[in-house]
Amino acid sequence: MHSDSIATNASNMPMASSNAKDFAKKKRMNRSAKLKQWKLDARREQWLSQVGIDTVKNKGRKEESTGRGIDGPLTQVGRRVRAMEKLEIRSRGEEENDGGSIHHDSDSKSPLNSPMSHTGSVLGGNDSGTNFTGSSSSSRSSSSSSSGGCCSGSMSEEDEDGEDGCLDDWEAVADALAATDEKQQLHANSLDTASEDKNVARFDSQPVSSIDISKAKPGAGASVDRTSVNCRAWRPDDAFRPQSLPNLSKQYSFPMNSDRHYACGASVWVCKNAASTPKPCPICYEDLDFTDSSFLPCSCGFRLCLFCHKRILEEDGRCPGCRKQYNYDPVEGEATLDGGSLIYRLTRSCSMITRS
Amino acid sequence: MTTTMNSESSNNSNTPSTAPVMTSSKQPLQTAKTVDTQSVLKRLQSELMALMMSGDSGISAFPEEDNIFCWKGTITGSKDTVFEGTEYKLSLSFPTDYPFKAPKVKFETGCFHPNVDVYGNICLDILQDKWSSAYDVRTILLSIQSLLGEPNTSSPLNTQAASLWGNQEEYRKMVEKLYKPSS
Repeated sequence: MHSDSIATNASNMPMASSNAKDFAKKKRMNRSAKLKQWKLDARREQWLSQVGIDTVKNKGRKEESTGRGIDGPLTQVGRRVRAMEKLEIRSRGEEENDGGSIHHDSDSKSPLNSPMSHTGSVLGGNDSGTNFTGSSSSSRSSSSSSSGGCCSGSMSEEDEDGEDGCLDDWEAVADALAATDEKQQLHANSLDTASEDKNVARFDSQPVSSIDISKAKPGAGASVDRTSVNCRAWRPDDAFRPQSLPNLSKQYSFPMNSDRHYACGASVWVCKNAASTPKPCPICYEDLDFTDSSFLPCSCGFRLCLFCHKRILEEDGRCPGCRKQYNYDPVEGEATLDGGSLIYRLTRSCSMITRS
Repeated sequence: MTTTMNSESSNNSNTPSTAPVMTSSKQPLQTAKTVDTQSVLKRLQSELMALMMSGDSGISAFPEEDNIFCWKGTITGSKDTVFEGTEYKLSLSFPTDYPFKAPKVKFETGCFHPNVDVYGNICLDILQDKWSSAYDVRTILLSIQSLLGEPNTSSPLNTQAASLWGNQEEYRKMVEKLYKPSS
């Protein structure tokens, strides 16, 4: 194609080049075209050689594979980057999962798995909210391998001594934990297996104290909501049947990811909303909107939507609740003041609509 | 088009038991006024659900196979009345402008009652001039059930029943004699 254009240029040159400028331009064009041609040739050679190598290497793979071979890793990297972003965005849920699973593994020898994994992971979640960097998953992965298990152990230990002191000095505790990892883990296991009730009690008291600290962090909002909802759900049981608390916590321990917890809270919220949803119109069973619910056409207090009210006015005009005639509103009075023509026009147009 | 709309509305009302009825219904009346019939459908479906959820003893109703505008209802005679232990089937046919117009309610089972004629027509004010759109199937059936025990003998459709009403023992015998429960 380019060679063609060059050829035509060459052939046209002597004829069209009456003045020097034109000739120079043509020459420049010619040169640039040649350059292009060279480049193209070079690229083609490159490409051919690559294909040749690939075909030799891959034994008759299709030519497209070269493109894929180059693109493939890049897109994979991109995906990985995106995945990392997702991880960072959803760091809370992931972290909790990490903590839960790791702790679970560490405790898998003991018979009481579920409640301990619960407390461990919940505490992990609280940890991220309170003292650790929390937003990045890397810091978790470095520390969670130990902290998921041992923090809970240390917590129970510290709790026995004094609750608030340990929370305030949490970072120091974490540093100490990082130093004496393995010991603490062993200790934690023994402690966990020994005192299930303590763990639960601790969990119960933990969120209340951690809310104040974690409020500053936006990422911890979900945990605050969740824990507060859980606390509220448990309160009656807490007061009257403290023995049943471990069972409840076991139930909550199975759906460990924060999403489900959040969904749990959301469902409660939805239920609360459903209780306060507007009533449906008793005539057509459509929900009364704000205008409808503030519309009180009859002194008997029978409410209905504006559509049904209009429909009834078109017919006998009596309130469905008390069968009394609706005493007409100012709208009707205005219309009569203007004279019957307006009403007449309205009714006629209405009838036309219904007819069509 | 109407059938798809029906299925949607039945999904909205969360009545899985009625869904097949709605979807399989072929209503020639619907095509005339689509918007109106949609609201009537919604109303009837909601009523059906409310009726099934209410769990009233002695009354029940359900749409016929292919038409939600025609229902079959049953009323059992109230305790301590001459109709105790009897069960009556009724047909309810709803107009397309329901609930602004009353449904036509008839006894399918013969009922020896001062306010029910031999064809099963019922003389009940709320089914005629005292109809209100606030009434529904449930209140209709409850009203008819209470009408059985408390007839209005001053304007009877069945004069024989009205005259016999004074003698409850004889009336009870007559009810038992004439009672033909439908299979």
